[in-house]
Amino acid sequence: MKSKALTAAFEKILGTDYVLSSEMDRALYGYDASLERAKPDVVVLPESVDQVSRIVKLAYEAKVPIVARGSGTNLSGGTIPVKGGIVVHFSRMNRILEIDIPNRTVTVEPGVITLDLQSLLLKRGFVYAPDPASQKVSTLGGNLGENSGGPHCLKYGVTTNHVLGAEVVLFDGSVIWTAGKSQDNPGYDLTGLLVGSEGTLGIVTKIILRIIRAPEAVKTMLAVYETIEDAGNTVSAIIAEGIVPATLEMMDNLVMKAVEESVHVGYPLDAAAVLIIELDGMADGMDRQSEKIMEICKRHNVREVRLAKSDTERAELWAGRKGAFGAVARLRPSYLVCDGTVPRTKLPEVLNKVLEVGKKYKLPIGNVFHAGDGNLHPLILFDERNAEERKRVHKAGTEILEICAAAGGTISGEHGIGIEKLKETALIFSKSDMAFMRHIKKAFDPAGLWNPGKLIPEPETMQ
Amino acid sequence: MVDAFQRIAETLIEFMGRESVKIDPEHTARYAVDGIAPKAVVFPADIEQVAKAVKFANRERMAIIPWGSGTKVGIGNPPDHLDVVVSTARLNQMTDVDTANLTMTVQAGVRIKDIQTRLVSEENRCYLPMVDPVTEAEALICSDRENTGCFFPLDPMFGDQATIGGVVAGNTSGPRRLLYGLPRDLVLGVRFVAPNGDIIGTGGKTVKNVSGYDVSKLMIGSWGTLGILCEMTLRLLPLPERMETLRLVFSSLSDAEGFIDRLFETKLLPAAVEILNERAFKRLGVADSSATDLSNWLVAVALEGCDEAVDRMRTELQGMAGDFGAGGTTHLPEDAHREFWQKVSNLEISLATQFPGMITLKLNYPISQWKKVISMATGTLNAYEIDHALLAHAGNGICIINLLMGEGIAATKDKRVQAVDALFHSCREMGGNLLVQRAPVVLKPHLPIWGDSGPHWRVMKWIREQLDPNGIMSPGRLLR
Repeated sequence: MKSKALTAAFEKILGTDYVLSSEMDRALYGYDASLERAKPDVVVLPESVDQVSRIVKLAYEAKVPIVARGSGTNLSGGTIPVKGGIVVHFSRMNRILEIDIPNRTVTVEPGVITLDLQSLLLKRGFVYAPDPASQKVSTLGGNLGENSGGPHCLKYGVTTNHVLGAEVVLFDGSVIWTAGKSQDNPGYDLTGLLVGSEGTLGIVTKIILRIIRAPEAVKTMLAVYETIEDAGNTVSAIIAEGIVPATLEMMDNLVMKAVEESVHVGYPLDAAAVLIIELDGMADGMDRQSEKIMEICKRHNVREVRLAKSDTERAELWAGRKGAFGAVARLRPSYLVCDGTVPRTKLPEVLNKVLEVGKKYKLPIGNVFHAGDGNLHPLILFDERNAEERKRVHKAGTEILEICAAAGGTISGEHGIGIEKLKETALIFSKSDMAFMRHIKKAFDPAGLWNPGKLIPEPETMQ
Repeated sequence: MVDAFQRIAETLIEFMGRESVKIDPEHTARYAVDGIAPKAVVFPADIEQVAKAVKFANRERMAIIPWGSGTKVGIGNPPDHLDVVVSTARLNQMTDVDTANLTMTVQAGVRIKDIQTRLVSEENRCYLPMVDPVTEAEALICSDRENTGCFFPLDPMFGDQATIGGVVAGNTSGPRRLLYGLPRDLVLGVRFVAPNGDIIGTGGKTVKNVSGYDVSKLMIGSWGTLGILCEMTLRLLPLPERMETLRLVFSSLSDAEGFIDRLFETKLLPAAVEILNERAFKRLGVADSSATDLSNWLVAVALEGCDEAVDRMRTELQGMAGDFGAGGTTHLPEDAHREFWQKVSNLEISLATQFPGMITLKLNYPISQWKKVISMATGTLNAYEIDHALLAHAGNGICIINLLMGEGIAATKDKRVQAVDALFHSCREMGGNLLVQRAPVVLKPHLPIWGDSGPHWRVMKWIREQLDPNGIMSPGRLLR
């Protein structure tokens, strides 16, 4: 890379404070929440779309890879600059630009932390629905890049159902809006294509999000089970009886124990699994619905169902669930979390198979996941400093994804393909499927510089 | 030329059999697009036959247009040229009905109304007025019926005839998108044939799926320009416990608007909030005796949900209606509710039969502008003395206006074009856009068919160049 010349050019645009190229800086921006690592050549911190546009133009002309970065909470290696190049970090572009209640939109810069937006909106009686567990740290730009999910996706949909439009910098430095505050604009759904594209088609510099009025009432329940199977069967039964709750989450014993030690919520340490079931909407009929749910739980041998009686109790229940990934660090220093998703009715059978994989490779596996939409998160626990364990972990992960694909599901429900699952894309995509996606990539990225090495494997690496 | 086409016809017949290929003018004329008849119409029986036809067409550089029920085939610029219409009539299987998982996989030629019928409950409750499903000799592969019954939460225009393929290709919807969303929110996966003849599958049965690019989103709303949709997996919901409608008549637009504004300030969750002008609701045959002289504007609110919620919404809204001086309030229980919304969905087609020269426009704008748009549109069309039936989805920023013309009506061609132009510019000023959903072919070159192209159309060209370099899929209809 013509590094010195390019770095100097960036410094002219941003000032030297916002162009980082020391060894330590490069190491600091070469990781995310996955197990991958790679150093960029330089890190830039722009503060305006104009700066981003000029950086992109220079980088593309110099044939240097570009990787956008929010908070680096990515779980699949999407943020790792595997081919070096430039990391464009959005920590300075973190403003909430406008809250437009009459139009039910907010406009934000990509560096805004998701929970910060949600807290602000709640004060005005509004909600941005997608709530990935990482929301305390992750940014809206990152959420857009991965099409993040979260517990409330069962009822409200994922990030792509709440992004109305985006301002995006294209490979030639030009800036366009893909859509705006009005719906049904004719033309291709470029917004939908960008969401979940993992930074491989362009860089988003502003986002228009949909907001909805906060629901009138919320009821949160914790259902405690002696077997995972009973919990899994309850999930299917609730949906089959015509109730679509706002959330339907599951945690198993291993995860509960770790969470309880860290957060002290009152999870039952001797239960096999718990379900967190939440209803929201108009208050009318909610009591009857929650009674129906309790009756379904009883039919499936529930030990007890606790109803959160206050906002505080509700917050505690959720703090436990949302802190789960972090809590398991008490048990082993590292984890590989799989993101396979299966049709809901296949859950009990797939969970059993996942347990068997754990036994086969002698690895503890904890389960905390979005049971309502069949999105599993088996947490394979290990020590990454142990090379032999690492090998077993990757084999176990692949086998779990094979099980999900075979059950009619997919290999990634919300964490993205990144680097991590490139090989496994062959489980669900044919050569033609991949070729079609490569054409899409080519349309936006003729020189292959937008976050290279992610999302779809290079043609040569396919069998 | 005839001989050259004979060779082509013979090849198509090889792929799918003589009965599935029509080249005689009597048949092909029925599949004309904007007055241009294709040289052949083919009726493939499965996705493999579609793939063979498209691959061949690509090699021969033949222009293809897909055809479901043809309800929306008039939308878009007249095609640059047209060789083959690919009909999805025989792609009519419901391949997987999995109500326990709230998903359903159907082929593109299946009609919306058959989808709803297939999902009825054991008590025969259906989302639409019940019809007998169209079944072919081959059995429908499906799971057992569930007790509660389900529905596909979409009420698109032309609901009586439209196929799911056309609905998804156009991302079309109806009033109840307010509660349930659009096809892009309801389609979990698509299988289609790409312009090069490859069979592509994307998405699947799961609600969450971020593997690879969201190709489904690209195909949804692509209006037949990126491939032929053959099969899609749909998201279902349990049938609402109760479905009713409140119809309110207001003598003044500002009263109707005040009512709707107040409604949107509450925590109530109606399924649809529509406002119609007198011409539109007279057409629906709902001019109640209670609202003869003063009736100008109709507000129709669909209520779908559990018993208690629907009861409360009805009571509160009836009270609110009184506050805003509603002239007449009609409560429609379930059967009447279904009939009413079916009529709304067919409004355009029913007007078009009476007014052959009709122009239908779909205006879109930021939600907050809805009142301004209605008064702007009404004012403009009154100034041009053009009779019009207007319907707006008050909570979504969409307004559909039918400019009623016919033989012998005084409106000249210039006046109509000028009126559309005026509406277009006013709408743009409010941050919106306009789409010409229906117009006489001779007028189309003078009308802003797709409204303002905007800068993102440049990116669309990049995508088209990659995916359809020979420009065979509906050429010229979306991008010029």
